[in-house]
Amino acid sequence: MVAVAQHPNIEIITYAEVTDVAGYIGNFKVTIKKKPKYVDWDLCTGCGTCIEKCPTKKVPDPFELGLGLTTAIRKVYPQAVPGKVFIDAEHCRKLKEDKCGVCEKICPTKAIRFDDKEEYITVDVGAIVMATGYDLFKWEEVYGEYGYGKYPDVITSLQFERLSSAGGPTGGKIKRPSDGKEPKRVAFIKCVGSRDDTKGKGYCSRACCMYTAKHAYQVKDKIPDSEAYVFYMDVRTAGKNYEEFYQRSLNAGAKYIRGRVSKIYQRGESLVLKAEDSLLGRPIEVEVDLVVLATAMVPSEGAQELAKIIGFSVDKDGFYQEAHPKLQPVETFAAGVYLAGACQGPKDIPDTVAQASGAAAKVCGLFAHDMLATEPMVSEVDISKCSGCGFCVPICPYKAISLVEITERGHHGPVKRQVAQVNGSLCQGCGACVPACRTAALNLKGFTDEQLVAEVDALCL
Amino acid sequence: MKKRVGVFVCDCGTNIASVVDTEEVAKYAADLPGVVFSTTYKYMCSDPGQEMVKKAIKEHGLEQVVVASCSPRMHEKTFRKAVEQGGINGYLFEMVNIREQDSWVHHDRKEATKKAKDLVRMAVSKVLRNKPLNISHIPITKKALVIGGGIAGMQAALDIAEAGYPVVLVEKEATIGGKMTQLDKTFPTMDCAA
Repeated sequence: MVAVAQHPNIEIITYAEVTDVAGYIGNFKVTIKKKPKYVDWDLCTGCGTCIEKCPTKKVPDPFELGLGLTTAIRKVYPQAVPGKVFIDAEHCRKLKEDKCGVCEKICPTKAIRFDDKEEYITVDVGAIVMATGYDLFKWEEVYGEYGYGKYPDVITSLQFERLSSAGGPTGGKIKRPSDGKEPKRVAFIKCVGSRDDTKGKGYCSRACCMYTAKHAYQVKDKIPDSEAYVFYMDVRTAGKNYEEFYQRSLNAGAKYIRGRVSKIYQRGESLVLKAEDSLLGRPIEVEVDLVVLATAMVPSEGAQELAKIIGFSVDKDGFYQEAHPKLQPVETFAAGVYLAGACQGPKDIPDTVAQASGAAAKVCGLFAHDMLATEPMVSEVDISKCSGCGFCVPICPYKAISLVEITERGHHGPVKRQVAQVNGSLCQGCGACVPACRTAALNLKGFTDEQLVAEVDALCL
Repeated sequence: MKKRVGVFVCDCGTNIASVVDTEEVAKYAADLPGVVFSTTYKYMCSDPGQEMVKKAIKEHGLEQVVVASCSPRMHEKTFRKAVEQGGINGYLFEMVNIREQDSWVHHDRKEATKKAKDLVRMAVSKVLRNKPLNISHIPITKKALVIGGGIAGMQAALDIAEAGYPVVLVEKEATIGGKMTQLDKTFPTMDCAA
């Protein structure tokens, strides 16, 4: 992270979203919306005085996933990059009720801007790398058997990461959310939303087997006399050193039980899991203190809309569609737009890093040339036939056609009239304009009417 | 332009040849108007296959080329280049998809072979009306946009930046790092995630 922030060639624009992309490979024009931060980042030193003094201290911390509280003015987390503060408009009393304003008074660099507005900027780029990542499957909405989220001690794996992290709300001590007690018996359920066509997604999320092995190991490692139960369908450890890592978890004493959990319910302070041990072929019941769900990876919110804006496709699950599953795994159908990481499909860290470097190599390969060769199969206008009706202009999805005025020789001197003109570098050769042309003035080079009719004749005559 | 078409039919190992009688298709193509040469080969996209195309252009004075093989998405560029190396304009070339659109989707050998012949006949008819096209060149803005500042975005941005090109990294949250910042240790090495 720090390496990225310190690199002279990288400009980081955080708290911002891409809202429009025009142009084509080598020449994109991108519009970026900078959301209001209510803090002038040129002035903010990240000293944190405002965070200390902010009286609104009971904001549920999105970073801690409901396991901790934070302030209205804050950093995403203490080691954020850039290390600057922003104001959460939803919870700030000044922005909501025009009361308070403490941060403005105490900021030593006078960086607070309550009148901050969203700002749009445009940048010209030659290539785009999509790295929008993933979100976690919303298990609370469909898994009634696990309590629809009503049991505080049924948490997700990402929440478990926070409980286990030295920077987390418990300082790295694994404590259960309901009463803060150290759980002695922890159950892990894999494939929650993954490989479940009825309630979730058909695909395997690929990273869960490994991080669950890690979590089970951490429970055994951090909590003396603890039990870690892992409910699984299969254990998939296809990666370098992965099987060995899984064995390490087994050697530490994690108990793997093959079978699905059909119900979780509260019994006193404990949670009871009813499941099937499919190796023994009989139903079992396990009483635990904490349940951790390995939920599926799904495309991140807004990823699909972004694909639409840029103009490439997504697969049936909403992940970005690669141009070819084996031979073009980082390209999209939009030239100059490349894919990296979980936006293309569930991935663990090694695969993500590898694919990101692959995408970067594609970008560098493109940039290694000074000029870009363009496909010559583009539309052309026969101006002797064009009536200048302009019908083709709005039909072109690439905004490649415009109307221009030409001067022709007439019987009584020069005559001016309008005709369509195709910008050859914007035109992608899709051919949408050709059937729209009422005077047959438009033709696609390489696919002219004459050529297509010849093909049909060859088949039919 | 002279009408001297060469037709090259690919077996694609058994991908095409197990369903389509490629020999028969090549024989049929030889009699089509304008065709002066036709042949089959086990893997037309391979080096010897491409050499075959280049050699035939020179030896038989071909002016147009038709390759009946897989999807143009797979190898159109391969053959266009071979045709150019053979000495004629790369757009005096047509590709016929007798794999994805024929052998992979049909079982009846007779019918599939007939379809391959139809497709080849259409392409020959079209290629005779092809005109040489020329590639134009446009300038490139040597600056990249990376959308998303998680592991993938950071790695891509770093690699591009290291190669000497400017990068704009856009992230929706107020920090880069993505989900990684929320992780404790990471498998299989148990490194910290910071």
